[in-house]
Amino acid sequence: MLLRKLLLRPNRPQFPICRTACDFPLKKYDVIVVGGGHAGTEAAAAAARVGAETLLITQKIQTIGALSCNPSLGGVGKGQLVREVDSLDGLCGRAGDWAGFHFSILNRRKGPAVWGPRAQLDRERYRQFIQAELLATPRLTVLEGSVEDLLVSDPNPHQPGQHRVTGIRLADDGQPVSSSSIVLTTGTFLSGSLFLGQTTSPGGRIGDPPSCAGLSHSLREKMGLRTGRLRTGTPPRIVKKTVELSLAEIRPPDKQPTPFSFLNKQTHCKPEEQLPCYLTYTTPGVERIVKESVHLNCHIQQDTKGPRYCPSIESRVQRFPGRSHQVWLEPEGLESDLIYPQGLSMTLPPDRQLCLLREIPALKRAEIQTPGYGVQYDFVCPMQLSPSLQVKRVQGLFLAGQINGTTGYEEAAAQGLWAGVNAGRTALSLPALSLSRTQSYIGVLIDDLVCRGVTEPYRMFTSRAEYRTALRPDNADLRLSPRGFEEIGCVSEQRYREALRVRDSLRDALSTMQSISMSSARWREKLADVNVSKSKSTVLSALELLQYNGVSFEMLASAFPECLSMYLEFSQRLKSEATYLPHCEKQKQEMERIREEESLSLPLDVDYFSLPISLSQEVREVLDNVRPHTLGAATRLPGMTPAAIVHLLNYVRKTGQERHKERNVNVSK
Amino acid sequence: MFQFISGSLWRRTSFIVKGLRGKQSKNRCSSGLCDADTIFALSSGHGRCGVAVVRVSGPASGLVLSSLAGQTHSRTAPRTARLCNIINPRSQELLDRGLVLWFPGPRSFTGEDSVEFHIHGGLAVISGVLQALGSLPGVRPAEAGEFTRRAFHAGKLDLTEVEGLGDLIHAETEAQRRQALRQMAGDLGRLYLDWSQRLIRCLAHVEAYIDFSEDELIEDGVLNQVDSAVSKLQTEVERHLRDGRRGERLRSGVQVVIAGNTNAGKSSLLNVLCQRPAAIVSPVAGTTRDVVETHVDISGFPVLLSDTAGLRDTLDSVEREGVRRARERVEQADLTLAVLDAVHLPRTPGGVPDFLLAHLGALLPGGEGREEAWRRSLLVLNKSDLLTAEHAAEVQSALDGAQGLPPSCLLSCQTGQGLDGFMEALEKQVKTLCGDPLSGAPSLTQARHRAHLQQCVEALAQYHHYRDLDLALAAEGVRLALTSLGRITGKVGAEEILDVIFRDFCIGK
Repeated sequence: MLLRKLLLRPNRPQFPICRTACDFPLKKYDVIVVGGGHAGTEAAAAAARVGAETLLITQKIQTIGALSCNPSLGGVGKGQLVREVDSLDGLCGRAGDWAGFHFSILNRRKGPAVWGPRAQLDRERYRQFIQAELLATPRLTVLEGSVEDLLVSDPNPHQPGQHRVTGIRLADDGQPVSSSSIVLTTGTFLSGSLFLGQTTSPGGRIGDPPSCAGLSHSLREKMGLRTGRLRTGTPPRIVKKTVELSLAEIRPPDKQPTPFSFLNKQTHCKPEEQLPCYLTYTTPGVERIVKESVHLNCHIQQDTKGPRYCPSIESRVQRFPGRSHQVWLEPEGLESDLIYPQGLSMTLPPDRQLCLLREIPALKRAEIQTPGYGVQYDFVCPMQLSPSLQVKRVQGLFLAGQINGTTGYEEAAAQGLWAGVNAGRTALSLPALSLSRTQSYIGVLIDDLVCRGVTEPYRMFTSRAEYRTALRPDNADLRLSPRGFEEIGCVSEQRYREALRVRDSLRDALSTMQSISMSSARWREKLADVNVSKSKSTVLSALELLQYNGVSFEMLASAFPECLSMYLEFSQRLKSEATYLPHCEKQKQEMERIREEESLSLPLDVDYFSLPISLSQEVREVLDNVRPHTLGAATRLPGMTPAAIVHLLNYVRKTGQERHKERNVNVSK
Repeated sequence: MFQFISGSLWRRTSFIVKGLRGKQSKNRCSSGLCDADTIFALSSGHGRCGVAVVRVSGPASGLVLSSLAGQTHSRTAPRTARLCNIINPRSQELLDRGLVLWFPGPRSFTGEDSVEFHIHGGLAVISGVLQALGSLPGVRPAEAGEFTRRAFHAGKLDLTEVEGLGDLIHAETEAQRRQALRQMAGDLGRLYLDWSQRLIRCLAHVEAYIDFSEDELIEDGVLNQVDSAVSKLQTEVERHLRDGRRGERLRSGVQVVIAGNTNAGKSSLLNVLCQRPAAIVSPVAGTTRDVVETHVDISGFPVLLSDTAGLRDTLDSVEREGVRRARERVEQADLTLAVLDAVHLPRTPGGVPDFLLAHLGALLPGGEGREEAWRRSLLVLNKSDLLTAEHAAEVQSALDGAQGLPPSCLLSCQTGQGLDGFMEALEKQVKTLCGDPLSGAPSLTQARHRAHLQQCVEALAQYHHYRDLDLALAAEGVRLALTSLGRITGKVGAEEILDVIFRDFCIGK
């Protein structure tokens, strides 16, 4: 039976509120979100924001917003995702600003396009923020319980798909709850098993009950979805007072913390209250213990695909032997008495884990609070999804997070938000939307997933984004917030107004700078310490000058205070805009072409084998298998030929025209 | 893992570039070329012709007009032919005297500003003009179907014309692919592939430094290695562009390849076609072990005829190499003459078509190029003199009624029987091929290669320019260089870069 049920009300700040079973209003929801991790919470909040009556079901209310693995958010590539989620009014950016106690911008020396905002988080504070935020979200109800199965019925004949979800059945009492959209964010819990040394037990996270096998079964058997298996792992948590931090290198945070959220001018943690992190290295002893213990370690003996970039210490040692590997010692919170050893994810038996840790000088007296362990879990091959993150063959079923084969909080949050938006919109009979890879990392992430699938846990890197000089962490608000309000409906008016104000100010500042121009000789007089290498008579605008290394907007503003000083709050953003302007101009046309191709949608239910256009059998098979949503997605499929694309383009235009005609006929009737 | 790219759209080819691990591709490609570029192409056929037409389209057409023909576009009468000197803008050397036409947009085929040069048809003149065009900034050789695509986007084609566009692009891509294959085989190809692999490594290391160096042990030393590797590449490509070496000898003309099983009479056919004993013929199977090439003239069109080793499994290593080369040639051919011994045909005439289908299936390349290869082939059933008159008639009528077979000729190289019909069929095919401006136009391929290499060098300079200012923009330079080179050797996607990163570095966070 349901252990606890509760209805969250925005006007009741306490959390959680326990209610008895009879209080649970059994009604129909627009959207049900299953899972309360990073994907689930963003999905539930986003669905509610677009106006859908939403129910979030989680096994344990207490673990909503829990950071299951590392106590940090952001980084290179991931920081961009956090900024984008924030720009669409998601939770994780603001939660990070609230819970962070060590902020730093990674890659500071490498150009603002690849800066990576990152923070160490206080687990407790992060969870509290997320829970309070959900509590304050109108139209959102949270229910503690376990989902046994999905309720499925015949599809809506007017839309593509073989099934349609109508709700879920709860475990224990088998009570049904109906809804028109469902977002599954089961993380590592879908047929999850935990590995610790030679023991294996069902579950998705240590200390939590496993989820029902019914879900995995019905995705595979009832709906015929292809699934695969992935693995991941987490390091042991170490008791802080047993660590000799003086033996590790200290890594201080940035002196002035930079918030994730565009709405925050400062972080909750004061600059001087931030805590440092520590860096240490593995020793030959670590390698020896790993090698001696291989036979005691069933996780790494299996060949399920694990991530290459977040490997366990066992696989690092095996792939790159004879080296010393970095280990970051990260505090788990301001008050926490635990240390998280980043880089030491392992699945050895607990006693061997202790021996291994103690081979590192700073950890020679370390005590383990919770051992590291590995997890294997099912994921649904994401090529079966459309760019709205809906399963193509099941109307109303959306998937987000690790269930799609990704890894990382930020990747999960980004998908959760997008799945939530579309689940909400679909339930409200609004058209589903997609984000372009020319506009956002979220678009890159989803496009990669649905067009190419995954062979190992997918993580975001800046090198995956072709247009990364345009998709910068500093301009995520301009890229997404206006559309988020005007078209998507998930952004508050306050944020929208702010984004417009920023956009207009930047535009004015850039055009003012463009209009200030003089010879380089005059510039040299005006700005004494600037090295303008051009010949004396070359005329440069202030905008061109700002592209120079060593020229800052502050310098220009002090030279022309009357027309530039009002833009000083945007100094850094103006510098980045100026730096990348020439390059982005060059890419513009290419990006527009891609967008144009992406705007030509291919019908999902078309039978490619009988399509009366000239396509080779091979191309037909690829198209039938992947069922790309747009012509743009089709061009990125392996095996597509230019000729096939032209034939498809023709087909799309023709059917578009026919549909248009039909519509006109209907109207005239 | 490598792809052949053409136009703004791309294709995976069925071939795997020699020496590269041929993992199944999961590449992506963006529409890399944009309409801001000005494009040119030889739009007349390449057969022996008096006048060749070179077309230019795009915003820099006015610049082309003034640089090559010394005319200011604003003062040039539109759509009027004018005789003038055509000069190389760099060296000021006179290339030719010919007609120049100026079509200001939108009243042109593509809707853009366009120029047409009507020049003398000699190979030297054509390639001189193409090279001169390629050296202008913002001007590059057109990719397959690009003129037509621009016309399409500008709304200059009606729906029925668009119907044919896909097939046209398909044919053009195929022609370019074959031409590029010829160009890529040999030392030049190896050189480009080597550059490409070194660039992949450079890019992977820069990307690793950007994406991982904050958390991982990736020292600044990595970037210094990239610096010197990029400089070295830059010098090599520049030197290559400067030394004016025209690559390997250009094989011009329509490439006709004679292929088939051993002892089918391939060499006899070659000798009949060039009317002299160019190849040794003997009744011993496996006499021809290497490719024998001869230039012949078929109704006024230049043809490069290649006789190849008979296809059979053999233990002899020399012969095996010959068989490998034969298969390679068939893959690259504009036209394949599939020769077989008529004696081996099935006794019952009804079985003949199926037998021939199976035979062609084994001989011609499969996969994507299959349809195209079948369209560009002729079946030659040799040794008709060994059949009884009755059997020969039956075979002939079976051939006439067969569906899905390329044109087939029953003949005898020994007696000359059926040769006239064969020559007629061959001439017809060669004529069609020569009307196609792309097949067998190596100068165009070469101009394209040069243009891409030039872009590659410029992009590498961007790396150095931004190296200390902004690493993201510096990396963009290497990416661009790789994209340009990738247009010759095959496209490289993000996953390949990541593969190198994970192979070379221990990324653990």
